[in-house]
Amino acid sequence: MILDLHTHSEASEDSRAPVETYLKWLTKKRELLPIDGIVLTEHRQWNPDVDYRDLEDKYQILILRGAEVETDYGHILVYGVNDDIAQRFDFTNVRLSAQEVVHEVARMGGVAAPCHPGRPTIGLCEHYASRPALDGVVTVEALNGGSRRGENERVQELIDKHGYRSFGGSDSHLVSFVGICATEFEDEVRNIDELVRVLKAGTYRPVDYRDRLKQAA
Amino acid sequence: MSLEFDRSIIGSEFDRTQNDPVTQDEVDAYVAACGEPVAGPGLAPPMFVLALRSERFMPENLPNLGRAAFDAGKDIDLGSPIRVGDRLLSVSTIHEIYEKTGRTGTMRFLVLRTTVTNQDEELVAVIDQKMMFR
Repeated sequence: MILDLHTHSEASEDSRAPVETYLKWLTKKRELLPIDGIVLTEHRQWNPDVDYRDLEDKYQILILRGAEVETDYGHILVYGVNDDIAQRFDFTNVRLSAQEVVHEVARMGGVAAPCHPGRPTIGLCEHYASRPALDGVVTVEALNGGSRRGENERVQELIDKHGYRSFGGSDSHLVSFVGICATEFEDEVRNIDELVRVLKAGTYRPVDYRDRLKQAA
Repeated sequence: MSLEFDRSIIGSEFDRTQNDPVTQDEVDAYVAACGEPVAGPGLAPPMFVLALRSERFMPENLPNLGRAAFDAGKDIDLGSPIRVGDRLLSVSTIHEIYEKTGRTGTMRFLVLRTTVTNQDEELVAVIDQKMMFR
């Protein structure tokens, strides 16, 4: 099963991508992008009232939701957001304690996964160079579709040193970027709880479709 | 330093400008300057709405957002077309203030929303003007 674990829709202030248009694009590009589902990880927010089940049914593509929060160790994707997590953290605060996010999200039933770790300022690698490693991190986004040259490459050393699991996501803010990087799971993921479970303990790997798309163009 | 401010300013109106009736000369000048095609006789191109000038460009009651700023773009939702002779009303509010962090550090964004209506109270445009500060 292949999921794009990092996407932004027009709910994020810097994206112009309607969710349904993502699904139309993935349907159209199915042969090149075999994406079974996406996780919407909007910036600095969690809206408990959003419901995409109609779109899931219409396009037969799984739609899960998380959030991308900003911390003193860079940006972190939070999967399994629930009322406890939403009440515990002010998602609009760009100076959240990463250690608290990692520990508390796990304690409250989710998983917090640092994204684009190789990116300057907002990635884990730079912070690890001058500060202690975070306790409790289980997985990091090793492959990010929005990274510049060299940023993804920096992550392997981090993974090797700390034994992190690794996943991929497009970090799409535009429709045509969805699914360019994703994560292939051995297990089936049908809902957010299953995603949290497999991210913590399952088998998965990042997958990159950019060359395939380039060749087809 | 974290951005703290009185959130009651969000949504507050800081400008209300009743524009003079749109003239054909203004439309012609806009078309000549921008090369935007005319939609039809007596109609202004959609982006003509950006040629309107408010009496007050910035609110007076902003928190300290930083010393350097640049235009971070506009989102524009268009409604009824603008016609020669329309009397357009522009109402501007502080729509949002927020922070984000990126490769280059922390940025603060100010979003000013201008709602433009015509003499029939039809919505002509909603313009969100973003400015980035640091």
